[in-house]
Amino acid sequence: MRLSTRVAALCVGLLVSHYAAAAELPQRWVSAGGALSEWVSALGGESKLVGVDTTSQHPESLKALPSIGYQRQLSAEGILSLRPQILIGTEEMGPPPVLSQIRNAGVQVELFSAQPDLPTLQGNLQHLGKLLGAEEQAVQAYRRYQEQLEQQKIRVTKAQLTQPSPGVLLLLGHAGGKPLIAGKDTAADWLLRQAGGHNLATHTGFKPFSVESLISLDPEVLVFADRALTGEAARAALFKENPMLSSTHAAKDGRVIELDPTLLVGGLGPRLPDSLKKLSDGFFPGSAGK
Amino acid sequence: MTILVKPRALFIGLSLLCALAIWLSLALGPVSLPLLDTLHAALRLAGLPIAPDGLEQAELIVGQIRLPRTLLGLAVGGVLALSGVAMQGLFRNPLADPGLVGVSSGAALGAAIAIVGGSAFGGLPESFGPYLLSVCAFLGGLGVTALVYRLGRRNGQTNVATMLLAGIALTALAGSAVGLFTYLADDATLRTLTFWNLGSLNGASYARLWPLLLVSAGVALWLPRRAKALNALLLGESEAGHLGIDVEGLKRELVFCTALGVGAAVAAAGMIGFVGLVVPHLVRLLAGPDHRVLLPASVLAGASLLLFADLVARLALAPAELPIGIVTAFIGAPFFLFLLLRRRA
Repeated sequence: MRLSTRVAALCVGLLVSHYAAAAELPQRWVSAGGALSEWVSALGGESKLVGVDTTSQHPESLKALPSIGYQRQLSAEGILSLRPQILIGTEEMGPPPVLSQIRNAGVQVELFSAQPDLPTLQGNLQHLGKLLGAEEQAVQAYRRYQEQLEQQKIRVTKAQLTQPSPGVLLLLGHAGGKPLIAGKDTAADWLLRQAGGHNLATHTGFKPFSVESLISLDPEVLVFADRALTGEAARAALFKENPMLSSTHAAKDGRVIELDPTLLVGGLGPRLPDSLKKLSDGFFPGSAGK
Repeated sequence: MTILVKPRALFIGLSLLCALAIWLSLALGPVSLPLLDTLHAALRLAGLPIAPDGLEQAELIVGQIRLPRTLLGLAVGGVLALSGVAMQGLFRNPLADPGLVGVSSGAALGAAIAIVGGSAFGGLPESFGPYLLSVCAFLGGLGVTALVYRLGRRNGQTNVATMLLAGIALTALAGSAVGLFTYLADDATLRTLTFWNLGSLNGASYARLWPLLLVSAGVALWLPRRAKALNALLLGESEAGHLGIDVEGLKRELVFCTALGVGAAVAAAGMIGFVGLVVPHLVRLLAGPDHRVLLPASVLAGASLLLFADLVARLALAPAELPIGIVTAFIGAPFFLFLLLRRRA
C-alpha cells in the first residue's frame, strides 16, 4: 500500500514536472510572416500553428488555417480570438498600436529580422528553436542551409570560370499582364546575384518597363514570377500579353525560368537553396547537374 | 419633398439606433465574450464597484480594444456626415460631398508624403514617429482646402462655382502627386498606402483619439447653430443676404469646419468614403431639408452607420479584418445610384 502510494506520488510528480516543462513553451502559435511559418513547419512545429497571415503560403497545408489577414494590417481582436500564446512576425508586422494591444493581452510577441543574410538566419533559427523546444533541429537546419549555400557559391564560381554571367531580367507579373521589373535593393536582385546572374535593370525597387527598353536590354535569360498562374499557363500568358518578348535572346534560346513569387518576401526561407540551384542551372546550362 | 417622419420621432429613433450600435460595437467582436461579462466589464469601466472575478479578459478587450474603437467610429461617422450636410448646403447641391473642397485629396497627398517619404524625415524625434502620418494627412487636408477657398475668392466675395472648379482641379493635381509617390513607393509602402486609402478603425488607442474627439465635438456643437442660416442659403445667396445672413462669413465657417472635421477624421481613420454623401441624403429623405433637423440627425445617423459598417468589417473575415472603406462604399455606391435614378424619374 505504502509502496504503491509512493509509486503513484512519484508518477504524479514526474508527470507534473514534465507537464510544467512543456507548459513553459508556448503551445498555440500565430505566425505573420511567410518564411517564418515555413521554418516553424520545417522545425516540426506546424501542429502548434493556429493562425497564419496571407503571406504564409507554404507548405500547402497552412492554407487550411484561419487567416489573420495581411501582416501590416493585423487586427488585435481577431488574433486574440484564436487564443494564441505567441505571435511571431518580421519587423514588417503591424500596425504598432495593434501589437501593443496584443502584448497587453498577455500574448508573447516575438519579432524576427527579415534581412536576407546568414547571420540573421542563424539568430532567427536559434530563437525559433528555443521557443519551439527544437534547438537541436534548428542547429542542424542551419548547418544544412549553410552547406547548401556554400555549395551554391562554389557551383557559381566554377561555372563563371567557363561561362560569362548571363544578363538577366526578373519579371514579376499577375497572369502575365504588365510585369514589373526587379531592380536594385530587392530580394529578387539578391537572388539573381546569388545564382550568378547579372541583373540588367539598374533602377531601385520594382518598376514597370516600356516594351522598347525591355527589348533594348535584350536579356539572355528571363526569370518570371507570376502571382496568379503557375507553370506552362504562366509562361504562355506572359508571352501572350507581351508578344514583343519573343524577340529577346532569352525567348529565342528558350531560356525562360519560372520562380515562385513567394520566395521574394519575408527573408531567407527553407525553399531558397533549391530555387537558387534551379536558377543557376538555368543561368549556366553547361554545368547543370554537376 | 414630403416629410415621412416627425422630427421628434426621428430623434428618438436615431438615438435608439445609435445606442444599439454602441452596445453592439462593445458586445460583438471576433473574441466571443459572454454578454453578461461584457456588461459587467462595461459597468466596471464606468466606475461601478463590481467584483473583478474572471473579468480580466473581458475588461481588457472591451476597455482597450472595443471602447476606443467605438469612440473613434462615433466621432468619425458623426463628423463626416455633418461635413456632408455643410458641403451640400454650401454648394446647394445634394451630390456634393466633403471631398469637393479638396480636403480628402489633400489628406491623401499628406499621407502619401508621410508613408513613402517618411524615412526621409530622419531627423524627427522618436516619439513623433507614430503620429507623422496623422499630422501630415491633417495638414494636407487643411492646406489644399485653404488653397481652394483662396482660389474661389475675388474682391472679397467667394464664388461657389469657382471654388467647385478649383476643388476639381486641385483634386486632380493632388491625385497626380499621389500617383508619383505611388510610383516611387516600394512594395511594402505601396500596400500601406492602399490600405490607408480604404480606411480602418483598427488599432484605435486613446492617445490618438483625444484630438479627434475634441475637434468633432467642437464641430458638432458649432455647425447646428448655423442651421437657420443654412436654411436661408437654400433660397439663394442674394436672398439669404437680404434676410440678413452674413453669407461670406457663413461660407468661411462651413469650409473651415469641414476642413477641420474631415481632416481630423481622415487623419485618425484613413479615407472612408460615402458616409458624408449618403447619410445627409438618408436623413433628408426621411425628415425633409430643414437644417435644424438635418444637422443633428445626420450626426446620429452617421455615427450609427459607421459603427454598423465597422461591425461588418471586423466580423466578416474574422480573424482577419476588412478595411471599413470597402464596407461603406459597398452600401453607399448602390444607394447613390438609386438616388440618381430617382432624380431622373
